[in-house]
Amino acid sequence: MAQDKVAQEDIQRRTEIDSSVKFPVLFFITSAAVWLTLAALLGFVQQMKLHSPGFLDFSFLHFLNYGRSNPAFMGALVYGWAIQAGVGVGIWIMARLCRAEVKNPVTLIVAGHFWNLGVLIGVLGILFGHGTSIEWLAFPKAVWPILCGAFSLIVIWLVTMFHRRQDKEVYISVWYILGACFWFPWIFITANLFIHIFPGSAVAKAATNAWFMGSMIYLVLAPIGLASAYYIIPKVIGRPVHSAQLGYYGFWGLAVFGGWTGIQKFMGGPLPAWMPAISGAAVILMLIPVLIVTVNQIMTIKGKSIEVNSSPAVRFTVAGISFFIIYCVFSALNSFLAVGKFTQLSFTSLGTQLLAVYGFFSMTIFGAIYFIVPRLTGTEWPSLKRINSHFMLSIYAMGTLLVVHLFGGVWQSAAYGKFDAPLENAISAGKPYAIGGSVAWAVIVFATLGFLMNLVSILSRSGRSEIVSKFVKYIGGQENSG
Amino acid sequence: MNSLRPFILGITATFFVPWLCLIVIPHNKMKAQPVEWASPETGKLSAYPAGKPNIFRQGQIVYAQEGCAYCHTQMIRPTYLGYESWRPDFGKEGTVDLPIRTRETRSGDYDGEQFAYLGVQRVGPDLSNVGYRHTEQWHHEHLYDPQSKRDFSVMPSFRHLYIKRKVKGQRSELALSNIKSTDTVVDEYEIVPTEKAKALVGYLMTLKKDDPFSGQVAGEPEDKKSDVKSK
Repeated sequence: MAQDKVAQEDIQRRTEIDSSVKFPVLFFITSAAVWLTLAALLGFVQQMKLHSPGFLDFSFLHFLNYGRSNPAFMGALVYGWAIQAGVGVGIWIMARLCRAEVKNPVTLIVAGHFWNLGVLIGVLGILFGHGTSIEWLAFPKAVWPILCGAFSLIVIWLVTMFHRRQDKEVYISVWYILGACFWFPWIFITANLFIHIFPGSAVAKAATNAWFMGSMIYLVLAPIGLASAYYIIPKVIGRPVHSAQLGYYGFWGLAVFGGWTGIQKFMGGPLPAWMPAISGAAVILMLIPVLIVTVNQIMTIKGKSIEVNSSPAVRFTVAGISFFIIYCVFSALNSFLAVGKFTQLSFTSLGTQLLAVYGFFSMTIFGAIYFIVPRLTGTEWPSLKRINSHFMLSIYAMGTLLVVHLFGGVWQSAAYGKFDAPLENAISAGKPYAIGGSVAWAVIVFATLGFLMNLVSILSRSGRSEIVSKFVKYIGGQENSG
Repeated sequence: MNSLRPFILGITATFFVPWLCLIVIPHNKMKAQPVEWASPETGKLSAYPAGKPNIFRQGQIVYAQEGCAYCHTQMIRPTYLGYESWRPDFGKEGTVDLPIRTRETRSGDYDGEQFAYLGVQRVGPDLSNVGYRHTEQWHHEHLYDPQSKRDFSVMPSFRHLYIKRKVKGQRSELALSNIKSTDTVVDEYEIVPTEKAKALVGYLMTLKKDDPFSGQVAGEPEDKKSDVKSK
């Protein structure tokens, strides 16, 4: 009986926390989902443009040319969707694990509005011809202070939250989230200051850009994604993380190697050779923390395949982590000269970015969203079928993109290497793969629309009204396991 | 580790080192120091890098705004990473039958630029030396209608950088001649580049990243083809 009472209080407490955090989290998740839909549409357009410049080639649509739609798509995907959804999920996990109710949700909402405003100006700025053509920093220069200010508000809020925590134990997910909150402003401010403001060598700026992308993936997206995985998987499975110690090592491995990555993109380029070399080495060494995370997660879900298959949240998360492992192995391979020379300046470079942002991060965050939203709204997802088709379509599309970008890139690079063949051969070498990519993007658009519709209908309360999720039973005593 | 301080110290320490080594130090140290050298054949003195801004910045802004860098690289790699430096469509001269190697790009080649657009992927050819390969007129016609120059091209048309106007007096020298106009009175109209298009082409014409430097083996002719026999 006493145990029942404790459990009852626990549920009560969580419901209170959830209802205090509801508005900001749903705000971030919903606006992120809208950006994702926009990004998917732009992604399809830019991929079509890559092989058929005649597609939508009307004079008044000149802003959809590949050179503008591609950076606009990346901007919407990374800043509109990925970081924003990550923030939404991060806030919720922090609130749950610190066992503290949210105070001042208005701060978050204001920050969220400014963030969205910044991304909107940025994407429109690129489309209307004010982009900078710097990868992942293509927004017009005026935008980054807005984004930076908005994110700083969120960081301040999260740190205050951490200080108010009721639970003395600090879980691995909290570290990852705090780490990302600490790294993102540093990386973002550094990249913008050194590229846009400080005078300096043009080549060093290009290197900074490559470093920015590497660090964004390993030190911002990866920690948030892993935080979500370290929370969702044990929670649904009903068993604590296999080893907190391993989680520790995994985190510090990421911290030690993450900041060195990225510049391997320009190996053989006009930089001092040690810069790409050290980045390449860091990416290879990054396999150590990745191996640790893998072992930890596999041991956690071992023997629980029924739970994994019955919960969409865990299925998405496991798929996301699998893509993360593929991404890391793939990046490590690309860091070798013998492989990298075929993948460096080709479709593959974009493919690896998509693998990290869509394959790994988005899939993990989808899992978290499928877990979180019903708990905040008190209704169940209206259509399980739509969740399943979202999962299957995303997996197939990402798999296709992976194959297309990898083989297409190698093929394209090899064709450029044949110096005694005419240019036509090199240009048309990549074309069939680009067409394959368009099919994958059409599928992603379809899947994303399904996801958005599901989200809109659960928010507008047309979903089935069940307070307790049918996927997750209450598991007594395991509440603190994540 | 339950308090924030050791955590912050830990991640600051681990992140500060790469930040310093990969960002701060290269930005301060990679400054151009022109090296004077005398040509062994003629004894003529020249400096590398030449010490002048070597590109047309206004055009580079248009290059960035239109996103050219997402399909074109400006980075020729050394032969250990591929044989692209022998491509006639990457270099200055040479043909498919008689390839002549262009040297790989070096950091001094980007002197005076705001940002080195090294590139992402090669959907189109490398542009490091595009200034040698075509005339201004060719560039304008190609930007307006890429497929009229190369029917296999996947480059989009940049016709929003051009305007159609009524001919007043003499036709403009820069009026495009490759345009199949649908107008019935073709002769009354001409298509001329805007300032942006002129700037962009001006920039492309300044892309010549092959200044000789001290210690370079100058002008390797085709007998150096033995370099690639390991292919």
